[in-house]
Amino acid sequence: MAILMAFLVFIPFLVIQIGILSNLPLLQGYPDLILLAILSWSLRPEVRTAWQWGVIGGLLMTLVSAMPVGVYLLAYLLVVAIARLTRRVVWRLPFLTMLVMTILGTFLTEGLSLIVLQLMGRDLSIRFVFGTIFIPSVLYNLILAIPTYALISELAKWVYPVEPIYES
Amino acid sequence: MNTTSRNLQTIVFVLIAVGMIALALGGYLTSLSRIFLNPLIEVQAWVYSRFQVAQDLLRAPQDMARLQQRNAQLEAQVSQLQAQIIELQQQLTEARILSALVDFARANPENRYQAAAVIGRDPSPFLRYIIINRGSDDNIRRGMPVVTQQGLVGRIDAVTANAARVQLITDAASVVNAKIQPSGAQAVLKGQASGDLLLDLIPQGVSIEVGNLVLTSGLGGGYPPNIVIGQIAGIRSQPQELFQSATVQSVADFNQLEIVLVIVNFRPVNIEPLMPEGNQP
Repeated sequence: MAILMAFLVFIPFLVIQIGILSNLPLLQGYPDLILLAILSWSLRPEVRTAWQWGVIGGLLMTLVSAMPVGVYLLAYLLVVAIARLTRRVVWRLPFLTMLVMTILGTFLTEGLSLIVLQLMGRDLSIRFVFGTIFIPSVLYNLILAIPTYALISELAKWVYPVEPIYES
Repeated sequence: MNTTSRNLQTIVFVLIAVGMIALALGGYLTSLSRIFLNPLIEVQAWVYSRFQVAQDLLRAPQDMARLQQRNAQLEAQVSQLQAQIIELQQQLTEARILSALVDFARANPENRYQAAAVIGRDPSPFLRYIIINRGSDDNIRRGMPVVTQQGLVGRIDAVTANAARVQLITDAASVVNAKIQPSGAQAVLKGQASGDLLLDLIPQGVSIEVGNLVLTSGLGGGYPPNIVIGQIAGIRSQPQELFQSATVQSVADFNQLEIVLVIVNFRPVNIEPLMPEGNQP
């Protein structure tokens, strides 16, 4: 069910991302809705399929993007790992955690993409990329982080309902 | 006696009446009638207005419901018409673009074109690719050039049955062999991370000016020759360097791409096996 839910969430998110948000850049930064969905899902304590969501999200992004195979997959799995670790340490203030993780996750994904593209010979100036891609992408993601977290949290509660505890 | 008196009275009354009418028709009673009529009109107006208020009060619920219903109907109609206007405007824009593309195709009869709509862009901010709604089912193949009526856009990078990904010439990994008109000098056009176009490897001896036209040269077999790319916008020439470089203003607006043409009768040539081993990537 939770795996199926990943497709039901990611496909419309991907359509919005490549059809709408990619046409509305902030300088040259785009938001990453798939990253935000994976982060939100991974930060929920009841969720047990975060890794699967990371893999599905990474594969879907690999399918539509010209980015070398595996970059998104690796980035999203790293994001899941950090999010799961963070969730164990910080179990309160979920929105704040989401915002901090959004900044970290965006830097991780974009940073990994930049490193791979530079290794492949693309001429990408760090200064230019930082000012026109990294920072705007972080801001864009921060704007969308809270609504995405709220939406995915509701979904997580629906997929993993908390069973009431009865005292004997 | 009585009858005579009554007849006399009638005659007098008729005469007075006729006289009054004659005076009134002659306009001699206007000031007099105004004195009497004005208060009467005032009273009449007041009574009528009170009556209207009372009537409205009695009719109000019925009218209100009818008006609300009518208002809702009109609002729905307005919304429908607004949607129709937007749709027609979109169709008009599309028709204009298609008309321009048809003109372009007629002007270049040596090529066969497949029109495709842009349906998305690469989600990565580092890459400049678009996704179009035509794929291998429409004879689209990897490497085919993509143009608009204005000029070169890019080339097909990946194909599925019903969609294809196009690498724009502004992508940082894009390289196009170009020539400058009118000098005819050969150069290499490279995409930049910023989305600008850089014309590199222009020989030092060649005279170039801002406004010179940049076209595909056809060298290397990656693109057909003589497709317009843009105009030179700025020149960077240092005497100690081997080559000059220039920034190019593209003729195509890459942010407003809606419909593009794929040149389907062009097959790129792979010259890698012909290159010396040391030069192979």
